[in-house]
Amino acid sequence: MKRLLKEPLLHFLLLGAGLFAASSFLSTRDELPRDAIVVSAGKIEHLSALYERTWQRPPTAQELEGLINDFIREEAAYREGMAFGLDRDDTIIRRRIRQKLDFIAEDIAGLVEPSDDELAAYLETHPDDFRVDPRLTFRQVYLNPDQHGESIEADARDLLSTLGGDAAIDASSLGDRIMLEHDYRDVSMREVASLFGEQFAIAIVELDPGSWEGPIESGYGLHLVMIDERTDARLPELDEVRDQVRREWEHVRRLEMTEAFYREMLDRYEIVVEWPEPDTKERDS
Amino acid sequence: MSSMKCLQSAIIAIAIVVTVLSETVTAQDVPPPSEKKITYSPYPEQTFPNRVYFGDTHLHTGYSTDAGMVGCILTPEDALRVSRGEEITSSHGLPVKLPRPLDFVVITDHAENLGLSPAIAESNADLLSNAWGKKIHDLVKLGTVDGQRMAFDMWVEAMMMDRKDPLKKFPEMGRTFWKRSTAAAEKYNEPGLFTAFIGFEWTSAPDGNNLHRNVIFRGGKDKADQIIPISAYDTDDPEKLWEWMADYERKTGGQLMAIAHNGNISNGLMFDDVTLTSKKPLDRDYAERRMRWEPLYEVTQIKGDGEAHPALSPNDEFADFETWDEATFGPVSTTPDMLPREYARSAYKRGLAYEQKLGVNPFKFGMIGSTDSHTGLPTTQEDSFFGKVSLLEPSADPIRFEEVIIGRTNPDPTKKIRAWRTSASGLAAVWSRENTREAIWDAMARKEVYATSGTRLKVRVFAGWDFEASDLDRSDFAEHGYDNGVPMGGDLSSAPRGKAPSFLVRAVKDPDGADLDRVQIIKGWLGADGETHEQIYDLAVSDGRRIGADGRCRKSVGNTVNAEEATYSNSIGDPYLEAFWQDPDFEANQRAFYYVRVIEIPTPRWTTFDAKVFGVELPEGAPVSIQERAYTSPIWYTPDN
Repeated sequence: MKRLLKEPLLHFLLLGAGLFAASSFLSTRDELPRDAIVVSAGKIEHLSALYERTWQRPPTAQELEGLINDFIREEAAYREGMAFGLDRDDTIIRRRIRQKLDFIAEDIAGLVEPSDDELAAYLETHPDDFRVDPRLTFRQVYLNPDQHGESIEADARDLLSTLGGDAAIDASSLGDRIMLEHDYRDVSMREVASLFGEQFAIAIVELDPGSWEGPIESGYGLHLVMIDERTDARLPELDEVRDQVRREWEHVRRLEMTEAFYREMLDRYEIVVEWPEPDTKERDS
Repeated sequence: MSSMKCLQSAIIAIAIVVTVLSETVTAQDVPPPSEKKITYSPYPEQTFPNRVYFGDTHLHTGYSTDAGMVGCILTPEDALRVSRGEEITSSHGLPVKLPRPLDFVVITDHAENLGLSPAIAESNADLLSNAWGKKIHDLVKLGTVDGQRMAFDMWVEAMMMDRKDPLKKFPEMGRTFWKRSTAAAEKYNEPGLFTAFIGFEWTSAPDGNNLHRNVIFRGGKDKADQIIPISAYDTDDPEKLWEWMADYERKTGGQLMAIAHNGNISNGLMFDDVTLTSKKPLDRDYAERRMRWEPLYEVTQIKGDGEAHPALSPNDEFADFETWDEATFGPVSTTPDMLPREYARSAYKRGLAYEQKLGVNPFKFGMIGSTDSHTGLPTTQEDSFFGKVSLLEPSADPIRFEEVIIGRTNPDPTKKIRAWRTSASGLAAVWSRENTREAIWDAMARKEVYATSGTRLKVRVFAGWDFEASDLDRSDFAEHGYDNGVPMGGDLSSAPRGKAPSFLVRAVKDPDGADLDRVQIIKGWLGADGETHEQIYDLAVSDGRRIGADGRCRKSVGNTVNAEEATYSNSIGDPYLEAFWQDPDFEANQRAFYYVRVIEIPTPRWTTFDAKVFGVELPEGAPVSIQERAYTSPIWYTPDN
C-alpha cells in the first residue's frame, strides 16, 4: 500500500479523474490559465523531504528555492517534451510506464483481503492442492532382482502363495534384505513415495487391505505388500489449512489480476501484427 | 484521443481500488488459531532418526545481485514454490518442475546489497534517495546491453575493488528485501511437509578467493527480522562473522549455524594454518569457535567437488570427480601447495594433527552437498540441469558450455574454467525424525548428515566396539545401532583393551536412480610418526566382485552408458549393499576418522543429455558419464589421554 501511494502515476490517474469530476461541478481552477505551473505547499514539503533524506538535514532557504526553480524547469520541460511527443519513440519511457502500471496492478492484487467464503470456495475448486495424503499402515517383503535374476516374478508368486490369505502370518524374516523396514505404521503417501519411489506409492494405495498382494514393482525390485490399514485421502476443513489456502489464493489472484488488467486494456485495441516476409534467400542457403 | 485512453485507464484503476476497499470490510470474523497439539512423526515410542530428508541449503534468486543483474528474475517465493514441487516459469520463460520435490530448502541470497536488482526494477524509493543508487538504477533503466553491463560493473567494483558498501548509509532497501525474504520462508514453511529455512549468504572473497558462508536460522521471522544480514562489506573475516552470530544469539535468543563452501576455489584459505586477518597460527580458542559456529561444510556443488583431490590421494581412483583446481575468482592461479588446505579429506587429516597439538580439532565438520544455483531453481539431476546462472539455462546456444566461470581476471588463459564443467550437484541429506525446521537444524548441528552429488541414495552407518556381522540381520537394526554405537557425525573414544572399532553400513540406491557400484570407508589417521595417513577400504561391491586382501576391489563395475541416447541400464550394480567392517589396522593410541563413500554405477553427465537433446557436440574433455556418489559425515576416534 505504501508503495502504491508513492507511485506518481496513480496520483496522476486519481488526480486526473478527480479534476475531471471536480471541474464538472465546481470549476474552481477555471480561472487559472491553461499553462500555469502551480508548485503547491505539499510539493514543496515533498522536495524538502527528499533533500533531507539524501543529505540528512533540511535544505536552507536558498537551497529550497533552488529545488523549487529546478522543479519548475522540470515540469515545463516535461510538458513541452510530451507536447512534442518526445515520449513516443523512447524505449526507456515506454518501459518505465509499463512497469509502473504492472506494479500498480500487482500491488492492488496484494491488497485484497480474502473473505472466508472466498477461501472456502478456493479450497473446494482446488481440492488436489490441499488434499490430505492417504495414510497407510503396511508390511512389505522385498525381492532383489540381482539375487533372483530371471525367476524373480515366479519366485514372488511362489512366496505370495506361501503367505496365502493369512493376515496374521509373520513375514518379517522372508524375502531379501534391504534398507527398508518390514512394517510401516501410519505413513503418508508422500513418505511412501520418498521411501520406495512414486510408482510404488501409486500402486499400493490402490490395494485392498487385509491380504498379501503383489508383486508390486519399485526402483529396488519387487515387493509383496499387505495393507493393514488405510486412511483415505480427505479434503481438510478450511481451518486446518487456512494459511496454505490463503497463500495459494493470493498467488493465483495476483496472476489473474495482472492477466485481467491487460485483457481489459487490450480489449480496447485492435491488434495487428505484421510479420516480416520470410527471407527465402536465407532459408535456401 | 490519448487523453481519452488515459481517462479510461484511470477509471479502471479507480474501479479496482474501490473493489479493494469494499472487500476488506468483510474479512473480520477469523476464528482464533487451533490449540490442538500436532505431532509430525509416527512411532512415538522410538526416539532415533528414522527418515532421510533431502534438501538444498544454498539457493539464490534474483534478490542476489550476481543473479538478478545477470538475468534471474525469480523471487524467493518462486524458488520456494519450485522447491516444494510446483511448476513455475524460469527466468528465460521455460516451464520448470522438479522431477521430485525437495523436503527442505534454504534461500541464501547474497547479503551484499540484497535485493538490488528487484529494487531497481521497482524503482525503490530508498535506492533512488542516494546518488549511487540513482546512478545504477538509471543505467539499468537505459534498457540497453551496455547500460546493464555498466551497472553490473559498478556493483562489482564496489563489491570486489572498493569493498565498501555503496548503500551503507541507506540500509532501508536491504531491510525491505530481507523482510520479504524472511516473509517468503515463513509463508512456505509447513512443518511436517516442507521446511523453508530463513538464511543468507555472507560472501567473503579476499582477493577473489572463496570464503563464502551460508548462515542458516533455526527460528522464524520474529527473530530474524531483528537484524539485517552481515555482509562482506562489514568484514571478510570469518572470525568476525562468528562474533556477529554470537551477538545475534544473545540479542534474539535464536540459533544460527554457518556452512562454508568451495574451498577448492579458495587458494588454500578455506582450511588455512593461520587466521585470515592477523595471520596467527590457529589456536585452541579459534578451533573451538570455528566448530561452535560451523559444524558443517558444503563439500559438493555446482562449482565442483571438494571431497578429495587426485594429487593428494593418488591411490584413490574416484578422487578426480568434477574437479575445479586451476584458479579462483581472483588473478592468482592455484598451486599444488595450496591443495591440502582446500579439500575436505586433507582438512580432516590435518584436523587430527591440530587436535593433538591444541586439544581441539578445528576441522571436525560434517558434510553436505547443495546447489549454489543462481537461477532460483535447485536442479540437481543430470537430465534436467538448469545451469549455474539464468544466462546458462537449457538451450543449444554455445554459451551454455562456453561461458567463462573461473579465471576471468587471471592473466593465464589456460586457467579458465568454462560452464560445461559446472556440476549438476548436490543435495544435503539429513537423518531426522521429522521434517521441521527444528528437527532438521538439530540434525545438521549434530552432523547426522551426508552429502550427495544430486542422487537420493540412502546410507546409514553405525560405529561401536561390540558390533558383529550378525547385527546386519537384526530386525531392530537401527535401534540396536543407536543403543550400541554412534551414527555418522559421532565420536568414539575409550577403546576397550584389544578391541578395534566395528562398523555397520547399509546403503540403498535412489529408488528413481542408478544401482550402486560400491560402498567404501575412507580412514584417515595420525600415525606414531606424527604424520597423517589415509586409506580406502571397499566394504561391499556389486555383482559378486571380490575384495582383495588389501581391502580393495580393483575390478571396475563396467559402464552401460549409451552416449548418443544418453541412457544407462541397471543391468550392472546392486540396488542394495551392506557390510560389517572392523578396522584391521587400528591403533588405540592414534587419532582417526572414518567416513563412508557410496559410489553409483556410471550414468550420463548433464552435458551428454544436452548433446542429445540439443544436437550439439560434447565439449572437448567432458566425460560422457559420471559416477554419482554420497559422502557421509565422519565418525571420529579420539584416544583417551
